[in-house]
Amino acid sequence: MSATYVARPTVLRLVLRDAAAAGSAAFLALVVLAALLAPWLAPFDPYETDLMAVMQPPGGENYPLGTDGQGRDMLSRLLFGLRVTLLMGVTSLLAGGVIGVSIGFIAAYWRRVDGLLMRLMDVMLSFPAILFGLALAAIFGPGLIAVVIALSVATVPLMARIARSTALVVMAQDYIEAARATGMGDWRLIRRHLAPNCVAPLLVFSTLRLGQVILLGSALSFLGLGAQAPTAELGAMAAQGRTFLFFAPHISVIPSAAIFAIVLACNLLGDALRDALDPKLRP
Amino acid sequence: MLRHAMGRIALALPVLLGVVLVGFLLMQVVPTDPATVRAGPMASAEVIAAIRSDLGLDQPLAVQFGKYLWRLVQGDLGVSIINNVPVAQELGNTIGPTLELMFASLVWSIPLGIGMGTIAAYLRGSWADRAIMAVSVAGVSVPVFFLGLVLIWYVGFQWQLLPFTGRQGPLWTLDGLRAVALPAITLGGVFVGPVARMTRTAVLETLSADHVRTARAKGLSETAVVLHHALRNALIPVVTLIGLQIGFLLGGAVVTETVFSWPGVGRLAVGAITSSDFPMAQGTIIVLSAGFILVNLTVDLLYGVLDPRVRGA
Repeated sequence: MSATYVARPTVLRLVLRDAAAAGSAAFLALVVLAALLAPWLAPFDPYETDLMAVMQPPGGENYPLGTDGQGRDMLSRLLFGLRVTLLMGVTSLLAGGVIGVSIGFIAAYWRRVDGLLMRLMDVMLSFPAILFGLALAAIFGPGLIAVVIALSVATVPLMARIARSTALVVMAQDYIEAARATGMGDWRLIRRHLAPNCVAPLLVFSTLRLGQVILLGSALSFLGLGAQAPTAELGAMAAQGRTFLFFAPHISVIPSAAIFAIVLACNLLGDALRDALDPKLRP
Repeated sequence: MLRHAMGRIALALPVLLGVVLVGFLLMQVVPTDPATVRAGPMASAEVIAAIRSDLGLDQPLAVQFGKYLWRLVQGDLGVSIINNVPVAQELGNTIGPTLELMFASLVWSIPLGIGMGTIAAYLRGSWADRAIMAVSVAGVSVPVFFLGLVLIWYVGFQWQLLPFTGRQGPLWTLDGLRAVALPAITLGGVFVGPVARMTRTAVLETLSADHVRTARAKGLSETAVVLHHALRNALIPVVTLIGLQIGFLLGGAVVTETVFSWPGVGRLAVGAITSSDFPMAQGTIIVLSAGFILVNLTVDLLYGVLDPRVRGA
């Protein structure tokens, strides 16, 4: 137990010492806060059109980030768009993560089903997320539900693999043997000893995966297969701006740059966390 | 070797069949009735019924699947319900441009990524390493459509250097080459980062291996050591990892084709799905999946050739 007690502050300190990682963490916190407080922060209704003020460039008095092709305030749409995009990403990550981690733990704990479960994961892994997205959009019709299901399904095998390999290492530790010797039941053992000791690598991967999921989800929305107009979602907003690219590039650029920044922050933070947890991989 | 190959093919076949089955079931669960769509909004019930029996939609599912499979083997993927063009014909027209785009993207991004990764590994910890890794992280984080739109805005629109819509001929003509340039820079641009990262990790590993130390000890030049002893052995995992990234590339291709109106399979698929053209959607998804499975299989087999240790596994 003393190992985890010492390790935690060290990891935190290592991450905070890395300027890029600390900046990323702060930025992500800010983004989440902005998304949560969108209704209070947004100066306008994100769906209210003002046909007298279409395609206003950023920097205006009323509209700091300008307006889109229908005269909707870009700042308000960005804030509400963050909500939808983050919610889409987090929901997919959580759904895929919970199912994937459960499968990974089951495979590591009950070795009889290991082979079967992992072959199943291999089959799922052999199918790219974008094709899942296309297929589900074809079945259910384009929409956020199809995107979230596709991204969750694509996350399951990745999470299962990492959970399994981490759990196998933990399972070989003496304290698991000791806990078992005290007559602890399977579920209690998994909950009290196995799961808490697998959290760190899973958290690292989740950070990286959140970035990928947001990137994929916004790409599907950009293609018109995810969030539908007039929903303010970053990928869909970028797609709507395409029509006005040559007159008002900011309509596409602002939401695209926001996605870029969020994904970059997830990747930088994830990399730093991984390096802090596994110094062997550090450059 | 043959056993390894047979085993891999035996694994790929059921996955392929699964894709076809999913594609077929897709047509069954769609909320829109293909017969109604084809008949149009004004059609009477009799006309819809006639079209339904014409399409074989009134037969049991198993029979429909059998017939479907039989038609598929013959290359018949059905007919678009939007414009009545055979799906196979439309696919035949779009596969070429998609392969062209992928080739044009990979032909520069893989060598560049491998070069960048090798330099980063060799100069580990230096500013060059950090700069290369920063570019790679940015590369894996940037939305493909963002990169595409920025290139369209600057290179295509502001500077008027290159065209940015559609394909203008085969790759070996100047017009064709100019037209593919921006899409290929976009798609290849998001691929350089992952390749550089993977190469760096692999080269770092081989650089500390015993045989590299031996090569240095016998007085080989640094160039020879890095290129022939470190990079060459690192290439095996890199080739595999590049192959495994094909799914990632496929997703990028779908977006790139849409951004640049490139007449490929990805754009066809997106158009079919958004316009509820189910036979077309199904055909494109099957072809994209089959292509993906085929590439994975090829990489697996290639890996067996490159690295004899894998064959037993």
